[in-house]
Amino acid sequence: MTKEKIIKSFEKKPENLLLALHSLQENNVNHYLTKDDLMEISKYFSLPYSFVYGVASFYSMFSFKPRGKYIVRVCKSPPCHLMGASSIIDELKKVLRINFGETTKDNLFTLEFSSCLGVCGVAPAMMINEEVFGNLTPQRIRKIIEEKREEK
Amino acid sequence: MRKRLDVLICAGANCVSSHSLDIKKKLEEELEKNQLKDEVNIVETGCMGPCQLGPIMIVYPDGSFYIRLKEEDVSNIVKEHFLKGRPVKRLLWTTPEATKVIEEKKKIPFFEKQKKIVLANCGKINPENIEEYIAVGGYEALAKVLTKMSSEKVIEEITKSKLVGRGGAGFPTGLKWKFVKESQGDEKYVICNADEGDPGAFKDRAILEGDPHTVIEGMAIAGYTVGANNGYIYIRAEYPLAIKRLEIAIEQARKYGLLGKNIFETNFNFDIELRMGAGAFIAGEETALIASIEGKRGMPHQKPPYPAQKGVWGKPTLINNVETLANIRHIMLNGGDWFSSIGTENSKGTKLFALSGKVNNTGLIEIPFGLTLGEVIFDIGGGIPKGKKFKAIQMGGPSGGYITSEFLNLPVDYKEIEKTGAIIGSAGMIVLDEDNCMVNMAKFFIEFTMSESCGQCTPCRIGLKQMYDILDRITNGEGTLEDLEELEILGNQIKSTSLCALGGTAPNPVLTGLKYFRDEFIEHVVNKKCRAGVCASLFYAPCVNSCPAGVDVPRYLAHMTAGRLKEAFLIHMEHNPFPSVCARVCPAFCENPCERGKFDESIAIREVKRLFADWATESGVEFAPPQKLKKEKVAIVGSGPAGLSCAFYLTRLGYKPVLFESLPVPGGMMQVGIPDYRLPKDALEQEIKRIVKSGVDLRLNSPVNSVKELKDMGFDAIFISVGAHCSEQLGVKSEELKGVIGGIEFLQDISLKRKNINLKDKKVIVVGGGSTAMDAARTALRVGSKDVSVVYRRSREEMPAQASEINEAMEEGIKFYFLTNPVEFSGNKRIEKVKCIKMEFKGFDKSGRRRPIPKEGSKFEIEGDLVLLCIGQRPELSKFSEELETNKNGTLKVDKVTLETNIKGVYAGGDAVLGPSTVVEAVEQGRKASIFIDKFFGYDGEFSFPQRDIVETSFNEDEYLKVIPRKTPKLEEIEKRIKSFVEVNKGLLLEEAIEESKRCLKCDRGKEIYREREKIVGELEEVA
Repeated sequence: MTKEKIIKSFEKKPENLLLALHSLQENNVNHYLTKDDLMEISKYFSLPYSFVYGVASFYSMFSFKPRGKYIVRVCKSPPCHLMGASSIIDELKKVLRINFGETTKDNLFTLEFSSCLGVCGVAPAMMINEEVFGNLTPQRIRKIIEEKREEK
Repeated sequence: MRKRLDVLICAGANCVSSHSLDIKKKLEEELEKNQLKDEVNIVETGCMGPCQLGPIMIVYPDGSFYIRLKEEDVSNIVKEHFLKGRPVKRLLWTTPEATKVIEEKKKIPFFEKQKKIVLANCGKINPENIEEYIAVGGYEALAKVLTKMSSEKVIEEITKSKLVGRGGAGFPTGLKWKFVKESQGDEKYVICNADEGDPGAFKDRAILEGDPHTVIEGMAIAGYTVGANNGYIYIRAEYPLAIKRLEIAIEQARKYGLLGKNIFETNFNFDIELRMGAGAFIAGEETALIASIEGKRGMPHQKPPYPAQKGVWGKPTLINNVETLANIRHIMLNGGDWFSSIGTENSKGTKLFALSGKVNNTGLIEIPFGLTLGEVIFDIGGGIPKGKKFKAIQMGGPSGGYITSEFLNLPVDYKEIEKTGAIIGSAGMIVLDEDNCMVNMAKFFIEFTMSESCGQCTPCRIGLKQMYDILDRITNGEGTLEDLEELEILGNQIKSTSLCALGGTAPNPVLTGLKYFRDEFIEHVVNKKCRAGVCASLFYAPCVNSCPAGVDVPRYLAHMTAGRLKEAFLIHMEHNPFPSVCARVCPAFCENPCERGKFDESIAIREVKRLFADWATESGVEFAPPQKLKKEKVAIVGSGPAGLSCAFYLTRLGYKPVLFESLPVPGGMMQVGIPDYRLPKDALEQEIKRIVKSGVDLRLNSPVNSVKELKDMGFDAIFISVGAHCSEQLGVKSEELKGVIGGIEFLQDISLKRKNINLKDKKVIVVGGGSTAMDAARTALRVGSKDVSVVYRRSREEMPAQASEINEAMEEGIKFYFLTNPVEFSGNKRIEKVKCIKMEFKGFDKSGRRRPIPKEGSKFEIEGDLVLLCIGQRPELSKFSEELETNKNGTLKVDKVTLETNIKGVYAGGDAVLGPSTVVEAVEQGRKASIFIDKFFGYDGEFSFPQRDIVETSFNEDEYLKVIPRKTPKLEEIEKRIKSFVEVNKGLLLEEAIEESKRCLKCDRGKEIYREREKIVGELEEVA
């Protein structure tokens, strides 16, 4: 769907702003919002550009930088932390060879921290896009990343 | 046609992440293959509860509960269970205590104490099929309300029920609905707050994923009652599964006319829209949530005005939590009185809790208020894994606090929990054990709230950052006592001046941390020590950190990988001069936190140690006495491990200490309290000889009568280490009968050969559960008795003796009476019978252990010719009682840091100060005292051990980073064991020890030179 079609699918009510931002970001294969996106939204909803930017930048799930195809969100909340998230974090950095906040050179993976994912029963956990992975160990991490690479 | 079997597969988020949907697919394939498609019904349900055990599958009607399924298991289940009617036992749930597999769901301890009202359908129905919801009574409440009840009646029932908000604030729901109903306004709204962002909370998602209609129905009832026709469900974007299920549910509800116009043919219209968050925790705060729905930045504003008056779009708005709304239909169907009959005085109904952390059964539970915390953690939760010790429950997320072991008998209730300083809040219970650092946890919570702060108000925006910076410095070893005060001042300020509840509650984890675990914070800032082994800057390796003597384990293991026995031995001697003894009797605190243990099994450190210890004994390695002696004279009273250790380290500091021992043999408890089959006498004697030859003046048969006596003899400093050799009494009737003696006295008699003891044909009863009890029992066996029983008032799991000792005792044929306590001794001048009573567990004591209480009417008798009391020991301090101050429990009072008593220049350590403890703890005290005695004389307290070099070592990942079991030594044959005092543990071979050392993960890699840590930081003034 083109950007215009997506935006037009929403009623011109300011309450649809967040949904519109989500949709535009999802529509972009690199999971981010461009200046152009924000401009279009600002025009369509008749809201100042600065206002749209202010809303988008408040929420941590919106990115203004291009990201990878797979967004790896690692939970670093206390339950995951005390069940060993730090070794998961180290392993991911090692396997993907990037730091948190960065994207791999082939644009496949972006590594991010997340707040509690709500799956503490299987801590430590992470999400890759919408898929949840729990009971992680360094071995499982390697396997999961391999599988994602192959899914290309 | 009704299908023969219903197979329910949990498809809650946790199980889905464990690939439960792949299991479902495999099951469908297998059913097809075996032509069972028409007989077996597969239902994908919401969360069943025990998340750690996923993927989960329940088969009805028999109720078989399959856990941790793998794809390979499916065909087995289909063939054996579905076709042949035989459930596959090895895949069913067993609890640690259950020797029998628990086949039925309702008998499983995890479920037994739960009461599922809100979660009644979760795990039973397919949440993506509205018809299943309707079939179990769904939307009946809405029908009843719309057709038979007025809004006033609804509010009346909810008020009667005493339901309070389940989001955390606990505001009375009936009252809130009344406010919104009475608010002036043409347009009103109902909002469901599904922005569950608290770390550790996952109850709301389970409801939305498992039974979304229950929330929709609740919202519709709310809308009717307060006069709203529109509802929003605000859900966080991190819950895509819940969003999907809600979208499906709303669509189906509209299709069936349960949402939309003229519901149930009344003139009530109601519809719901979903709104997503975008990763802002603060948007869970009601005014921030409203702002977010309106398409703004999710920032809270001052209250009043409250949403009930001015909410979304400035209109009166009812905001309720998911769980609150899920309770509504039940109250409508069963009445407010029914609801308030469940629970306690202050807290009615049931409550969902999300159990996570160090507990066996993590997952989602629903319990009636009034159940105790101990029942939740230990009965439902199944206790702490790997036998670790419970430390605290963190409850209420970042707004909450800690609940320590003294509160385990507290009922789960809003007011009771608040009294502890914690809150129920979002009902996340994170269980912490001994390996968790409370300072680190506090830092973690502040890091979270600091980054989620919206930034509006100064106290939260800046204050939390200040708190974080202080905590960061503390965990890096740069904190001070003033920092702790600062944290409290800041915390209280932030709490009272923040705009919203985020800032208002964020300091709680820190403040409750300081309240209940102040010792740990003090250790971090004063001693630069992290006892849990978490704050990496504060310790060298977890094993060293846990060793009371701080022995450099990784370094000697590194030497052992190359077979360098001498170097390994010398490193050990720098902190503990008893490698041979400790290799045999130490509880090995080092092995507990060993990182390798998280991978496969911890390193057998103690067994490796024995190789170089025995080598040193055989090769006669010696330490030369100091060439130049310092002029000061030091006396030591008692030649147990504390005294001998102090003596050895004093020689390394340039003294020639005089060691006074009242018995004819040196060694204290090592000599007279630990039998030969555990610690051969010649091994001990060689180690003592080595210490004496290093320059100690040992005087046997030389009791000391007072401190003054020693001062008169010209000693400048004294170390008192007389140990704890007096057995405690039970305090029961006729304890003074002949034949009832202390276990220690018995062991001493045998080792000093004071009496010729032959227990042939005698029945022996040992009372107690520690090492002394095991030693006494096994010794009794070896001197002729064929009938030895141990009576212990708790269960096997709680016995303080080492597991290996208990196992070996059982192998040797000793009988054990667990949960049994003696109440009376009887006999004619001599003991003949011991009357005992059975015990049962009821609640918990302050230390967090289950409390045994006598079981009515369960008295019975055991015959005995000799009763050995091994229930603890006290130091015998009558000689020093006039000069030295003691604690309430009879041990010597000393300064915590320097070990100095109330008399200047007189120090004390070992069991005389600690009460009965271990060799290694006594050694540490002896060594520490030697340092402070040296400082007392004005010297620097630094040892002249050879300068350390970095040990070159390598770790072969390919060979050693895979599951390799720990080496275990061979034990002597049982027949040989019980006839003599030959050493039971034969030890590892050198090659085995070298291989075992290679498993070490070298946690010390990259850390500073160990010597840096030797600095003992300052002297504590008044420590509050």
